[in-house]
Amino acid sequence: MRYDGARLTGLSDAKNVGRRPAFDGPFFTISMLLLAAGVVMVLSASYPRAWYDPAHVTGGNAVYYFVRQLVFALLGVGAMLLASRLPMAFYRRVAFPFLFGTVFLLMLVPLIGVKANGSRRWLGIGGLTLQPSELAKLAVILSFAVLICRFRGRMRSFRWGILPFAGILGVLVGLLVLEPHFSASVILLAIGAVMLFLGGVRLGWFAGAFGAAGAGLAVLLTFFPYASSRVNTWRDPFSDTSDRGYQIVQSLYTIGSGGLSGLGLGGSRQKFLYLPEEHNDFIFSVVCEELGFIGAALILCLFALLILRGFWIAFHCRGRFSFLVVAGITSLLAIQVFLNVAVVTNLVPCTGISLPLFSYGGTALLIQLFELGIVLSASRDIPEH
Amino acid sequence: MKQENGDGAQAVRLSRQMLRRGAALAALFGIGMLAVLLARLYRLQISQHDFYESLALEQQLRETKGAAARGSITDTNGNPLAVSATVENVYLSPMEIEADGEDRELIARGLAEILGTDPDDLYEKTGRKGSWYVTAARKLEREQADRVRAFKAEHGLKGVRLEADTKRYYPNSRLACHLLGFVGTDNVGLEGIEARYDEVLAGTAARSLRATNAYGSELLFSRYEDYRAGEEGSDIVLTLDATVQYYVEKHLRQAALDYDAVNGAGAIAMDPKTGAILAMASLDDYDPNDFLSIGERAREQADEAQSEEERAQRIREAQTRQWRNKALSDTYEPGSTFKIITLAMALEEGKVSLTDSFYCGGSVSVTGRTNPIRCWKSGGHGSQSLTQAVQHSCNAAFVNIGLRVGAERFYDYCEAFGFLKLSDDPDASLSARTGVDLAGESGSIWWSRNTFCSKKNLSQLAAASFGQTFTITPLQLVCAVSACVNGGYLMEPYVVRQIVAPDGTVAMNREPHVVRQVISENTSRQVRAILEQVVGDPKEGTGRNAAVTGYRIGGKTGTSEKVSLEARTGQKEYIVSFIGFAPADDPKIVLLVFLDTPSDKSGVYVSGGQMAAPVVGRMLADILPYLGVAPGSGGAVEAHMPACAGLPLTDAAKRVREAGLRFRTIGDGDTVTDQLPAAGSEIAEGTEIILYLGADISPESECVPELTGLSYEEARDVLSYYGLYLNTRSALGGERTVSAQSLPAGALAEHGTVLEVTLVDQDETMLGKY
Repeated sequence: MRYDGARLTGLSDAKNVGRRPAFDGPFFTISMLLLAAGVVMVLSASYPRAWYDPAHVTGGNAVYYFVRQLVFALLGVGAMLLASRLPMAFYRRVAFPFLFGTVFLLMLVPLIGVKANGSRRWLGIGGLTLQPSELAKLAVILSFAVLICRFRGRMRSFRWGILPFAGILGVLVGLLVLEPHFSASVILLAIGAVMLFLGGVRLGWFAGAFGAAGAGLAVLLTFFPYASSRVNTWRDPFSDTSDRGYQIVQSLYTIGSGGLSGLGLGGSRQKFLYLPEEHNDFIFSVVCEELGFIGAALILCLFALLILRGFWIAFHCRGRFSFLVVAGITSLLAIQVFLNVAVVTNLVPCTGISLPLFSYGGTALLIQLFELGIVLSASRDIPEH
Repeated sequence: MKQENGDGAQAVRLSRQMLRRGAALAALFGIGMLAVLLARLYRLQISQHDFYESLALEQQLRETKGAAARGSITDTNGNPLAVSATVENVYLSPMEIEADGEDRELIARGLAEILGTDPDDLYEKTGRKGSWYVTAARKLEREQADRVRAFKAEHGLKGVRLEADTKRYYPNSRLACHLLGFVGTDNVGLEGIEARYDEVLAGTAARSLRATNAYGSELLFSRYEDYRAGEEGSDIVLTLDATVQYYVEKHLRQAALDYDAVNGAGAIAMDPKTGAILAMASLDDYDPNDFLSIGERAREQADEAQSEEERAQRIREAQTRQWRNKALSDTYEPGSTFKIITLAMALEEGKVSLTDSFYCGGSVSVTGRTNPIRCWKSGGHGSQSLTQAVQHSCNAAFVNIGLRVGAERFYDYCEAFGFLKLSDDPDASLSARTGVDLAGESGSIWWSRNTFCSKKNLSQLAAASFGQTFTITPLQLVCAVSACVNGGYLMEPYVVRQIVAPDGTVAMNREPHVVRQVISENTSRQVRAILEQVVGDPKEGTGRNAAVTGYRIGGKTGTSEKVSLEARTGQKEYIVSFIGFAPADDPKIVLLVFLDTPSDKSGVYVSGGQMAAPVVGRMLADILPYLGVAPGSGGAVEAHMPACAGLPLTDAAKRVREAGLRFRTIGDGDTVTDQLPAAGSEIAEGTEIILYLGADISPESECVPELTGLSYEEARDVLSYYGLYLNTRSALGGERTVSAQSLPAGALAEHGTVLEVTLVDQDETMLGKY
């Protein structure tokens, strides 16, 4: 924790942006490795569905999804580099305008959103679609970081430490429930909790929150058959392999048949229309099948290294805001990776959470890479050893 | 900006709490999370790998079976009885139809037109959700399959597919259906030889294993395939002779019709020296090409059913009935035919001799029975020699013969003849099978040794002496009687003579198997001689209706009451039978015919001598010449109609007379323009035929007159009056009269039709249940 703050004066000076020190090499490298692996896996996982085209989307173009993902990956790397060049002070300044913009977009979703599978979660912009919930995650991290810095010393009180944050989360989650978008709500609450935890809120509140969440869940399971049937499917997916349990059972087949060393890259058989969402939420199952336990463990280790490196950057940040933002973004990544893999391995009940850097989805990838760019931006402020 | 700077300067220091909490999160997310997920993956991918892999493979892999060519079945002379041909099945793949957006309407209508099936049904099949295989039509022959292929190609249909299959053909239709059996749609043998030798005939189908996508079609890059070549099935050569089988079936069917045998009938012909089955027939029968369809009478009965359910039940019952091989699967009380066995054992044991005399007063008392056993002839047969006792089929005499043998020895002989297997438990009821290589053989049922051999009660022994109170299969009787007449050797019966592998090598060549010698050659000779007198003696032989002019035939009648049925229902039902062999001095064939529950409405007395014996005679009259047995003296009684058309009357008249026929003329020309019957017809000697001299044969049909009860000559003359003719396979002479005719009275027949009649001796002394 010894670094020289003097060199960093005038951080926000726009003229100096171009001369900022280099960003963190390991974090960038690991990100790029995962991104490359992710894009390759999208190609491998998606081509059967793109070729057979049962939903009449791709026109039989086997590389349809891959090309799109590749384009967005390249754009995303650009966004990442751009984000790494913007100073942290910039993020601080735009945090609340960004939050309000996100709320505005979230309000638009129920009105003009694109409907799919019974939910309105997407906004169509030209040929692209955007999930404002992805933006909301970043908005929570930035705005909470700003507020925590501002309320420093008062975070242990309810009025300052809980109320404003709860208000923001309440609005965002409320809008998400309207869509409805259960998994995004959970992630948003989780990342909010992480921020408050880092911000110094009394641990007692967390105990209370967990208690409340447990009670809420119990009520949900008792009174909403939809939710309880999900839990039943989770506990015994083989009870109904053709309908509700189909997806998770297919995922287990996929993962289990990979074995130690897998069927080889491109060798998945489950991706031939047995496994739904194989290039999307369930892409990690295909990773497990093709690359085996060894390959899957390698990917998870890369994620773990990225997360640990993210926290390492956070610890070395100059200033609370940077710390909070970097730790928040890293935690968000970690939460999404954990929940995604936990879902596809049936460790938690099935819900739609994508795997960062892997799952197909252009704008989401763009936003994720931009977030990693913010971490890189913060890493530039770390004095060299 | 200022505030921010100040804030930033303060923010340089991260509080200890922040670092502590950050470190906790880093550990949780960076290490804890990794550990949990790796543990979970280890469990799924390593510990439970086999479980999930097998389930995944089960859904990913499709096994396609090719069709192995099923081996053919031929008779002993190589005549094909069952052959296989390659055909094709058409199936639909609704998943692909949906995926490719193919026109269901078009497919349904197009296929329905080619297949001649219901388009609505096909339309429904094209829309089966989630299915990749729905059978549209099975076993199409080449021409139809080609039309489907053309239709498929024309519209580029992926969802309509063809696969190879094989179809079984039985070129002779019903011939030997029970022996052959049939195969189901999945090419698995279900009855008879087809079932018993299914593994030999079936071969192994070529199998290919391939990974498919969830719709069942090929993977984009096929990377998982396994092919195992198949092997053709072997051919089977039977001991059966199709010609003998044909004669047996022909006469059996006619007899079942003549005597209205409501419960069917059966016949077995065996070579007594080897045990080779020459023919085996059972009624009701069926066409193995279409084994599900039932006979007309059964269908009418089914249609009378009150409910659809009952109708289906009746159809099922009729199917089961027609598939049943009565000669193999039925057991019955053999009745008097069993006297051959009693005779043989008594002679072998020296308990009787040809010079012995037996008195029959109409009944005989037996220890343990309150009522005496009655002979079928209530007045009794009086004093008779051993040969006469057999000729008369005298029950009283045979009770005495049985008692002389004694229960223990009687049982030993029954075991030696293959009727039962003695067990260590003297109270167990006993059973045995011949071990013939056919599916569905039943076993006999006998009293336990303790019951049968009781000193206080000899009634079982007494009844068994003339073939009652136990049940055996017809095949068991044929084998045992063969042993009595072939020199004493019990042969194991068999049907499959050879198995020929696909490459032409003989994989199995069956040699006759002697189970044991039961009686001596000498005893056997005596038995043959006595049994020849049963058929050959035109005065005293109760089997004389089986006689065939010019041949030495031995045999024995049987009329058995279904005792257990009568005890249950009070209904009297009979099985009439006759077992014959020829030539009597050196048998080449043993032939058993039994008719189950014939009706006396036919006008013929219900007994083996009146009903079954003439059937055996007619069969032998056809079979013996075919087997190359030359007729001795007596010769044929049939004349061959010469060709007279175009000849001057004088020449024609000469020819007719030379053929042993008489004639009358119609018309007034000098040249024969036409004749009745047609040239080459076999008709009775002395028949008056018609020569047409310019006149035309009346195209009208004649009503067949009633011939029953007429002598051969009377029947001949009655018929020729109408321009109809007759012949017979029965022996002539004695008091024989017509008992059955091949066309019933009242039927319409064209001029020149030749009827075949059965002649029996209906001498009053012969009418009895023996």
